[in-house]
Amino acid sequence: MTTEVREKPHAKTQDRVVVIDDDEIMLLSCSEILTRAGFEVETFVSGEEGIRKIQEAPAALLFVDLKMPRIDGMEVIRRVRQIDPSMVIVVITGYATIATAVEAMKAGAYDFLPKPFTIDEFSVILNRGFERWRLAGESERLRLEKEDAQRRFVTFVSHQLKTPVVAVKQYLDVMLYTSRDELPERAQEWLRRSQLRLGEMLALIQDWLDLSKIEHGQLVRGDASTDLREVVQGAVQTQAVTAEKAGVAVEIDCPAPLPAVRGDSGSLSMLMANLVGNAVKYNRPGGKVAVRMSARDDAVVVEVEDTGIGIPSASLGQLFQEFHRVKIPLTANIPGTGLGLAICKKIVSELGGTVSVSSREGVGTTFTLHLPVHAATDSSQPRHQASEPE
Amino acid sequence: MSEKKKVLIIDDDPDYVAAISALLEGSGYEVSRATNGTEGLDMAKTLRPDLILLDVMMTERTEGFFVLQSMRSVPALAGVPIVIASSVYSEYPHFRVNPQSGWLPADQFLAKPIDPETLLSEVERLISAPRAAAPGNKTA
Repeated sequence: MTTEVREKPHAKTQDRVVVIDDDEIMLLSCSEILTRAGFEVETFVSGEEGIRKIQEAPAALLFVDLKMPRIDGMEVIRRVRQIDPSMVIVVITGYATIATAVEAMKAGAYDFLPKPFTIDEFSVILNRGFERWRLAGESERLRLEKEDAQRRFVTFVSHQLKTPVVAVKQYLDVMLYTSRDELPERAQEWLRRSQLRLGEMLALIQDWLDLSKIEHGQLVRGDASTDLREVVQGAVQTQAVTAEKAGVAVEIDCPAPLPAVRGDSGSLSMLMANLVGNAVKYNRPGGKVAVRMSARDDAVVVEVEDTGIGIPSASLGQLFQEFHRVKIPLTANIPGTGLGLAICKKIVSELGGTVSVSSREGVGTTFTLHLPVHAATDSSQPRHQASEPE
Repeated sequence: MSEKKKVLIIDDDPDYVAAISALLEGSGYEVSRATNGTEGLDMAKTLRPDLILLDVMMTERTEGFFVLQSMRSVPALAGVPIVIASSVYSEYPHFRVNPQSGWLPADQFLAKPIDPETLLSEVERLISAPRAAAPGNKTA
């Protein structure tokens, strides 16, 4: 036991033990042993009272008699498991048959104590139960700490990776903006190329960070609801300059008002900007991109169709894999991280939707999204459960 | 004759600061530099710059945000445009905090590295824009 000052009105969970038994003499003797061992004990003659107490204040251990009037021990075990699964339960059984003990263990009890028992027998089971509770708590705490550290690690590493690249690229950007003409032609050309390569590296770090955040359930918010039409308009706008330079026309086709879809506008923007960006990037001068949206059952269907170079059928299967890039001469000089579609796929699955692709080489590619409608605007059952990351 | 407009850069990366300073000085601005939030806040109070360019992750992970909040409570700095420049923002517009949202009252968010042309035009726009109050003071 620690020597820490005990907080009122309840002692710490780790110091608390509850005993439920309809035999008052049993309660008295248990109470005495436990108090002597340094625990704060609360005893109850009925299951209802004991359960009520456990609901109010958590305890580390519960000793419960199996055979009691009204609510029996098995029922107490089931209910306590629901209230606090971390509580360690020991059953006290008067008729020491293996069958009842096994049944209790199946219901979630950790150990059993056959009546009558000596102080030593009780102490052994008490220590074992308490050790079990302590270890379970510790491993849970370690698991959370590890998860948290991983999340912070990703953000930290990407910031550390970005900082020097940002500084170097900022020098090049400013140099090429202010003093380009003072530089020899070859220096200009090489600086411009370095600038592009650094841009690629920053995009890669950003994509990797986004992907990690999605995997840690930090980015996509399935409980939010978003108007997809606005998102698509925003995504098309971010590609406007690039599209104009490439001589590609982008049009949005959305005939009827759409129900709001699940997901936050940030992730959905990332998704749509990726798809529209690809449709522009892998297009041809004079080509077109059409983004069509329609409501179908409890989903919004989005098609992003381009008149681009198309994808070889052999590549379609691996298209959404991380770092997969189609290796054909036409794409050799198009920069990309190979993570864009992996990000799209992850966002869509976090939202419970689907993404598929069809393509003909030399003709064009169509990506089709089915994005679930947000439950609040949908007549079917609320589905906020499904928004929890897996 | 008009005096040079003053820009205060608060950032802990000396190379990034050198590049941005050169760009702004080349365009006729007077540039001051602070390498952390505390120093930046003190300098802002005495210098009364026409614009502040503020980094986010300095000594502390979100130092810039705290500096921003503190600056907005200094009456002498009311109406001074503050631009957050950070590499933690991705290029997607929705990931930036809307300047009108009120909880992070910056006037603009720019992703590092900043395109020189964008920076110059934004600095000019924000400095010359008529301002009644800081965006954080809006009641809407």
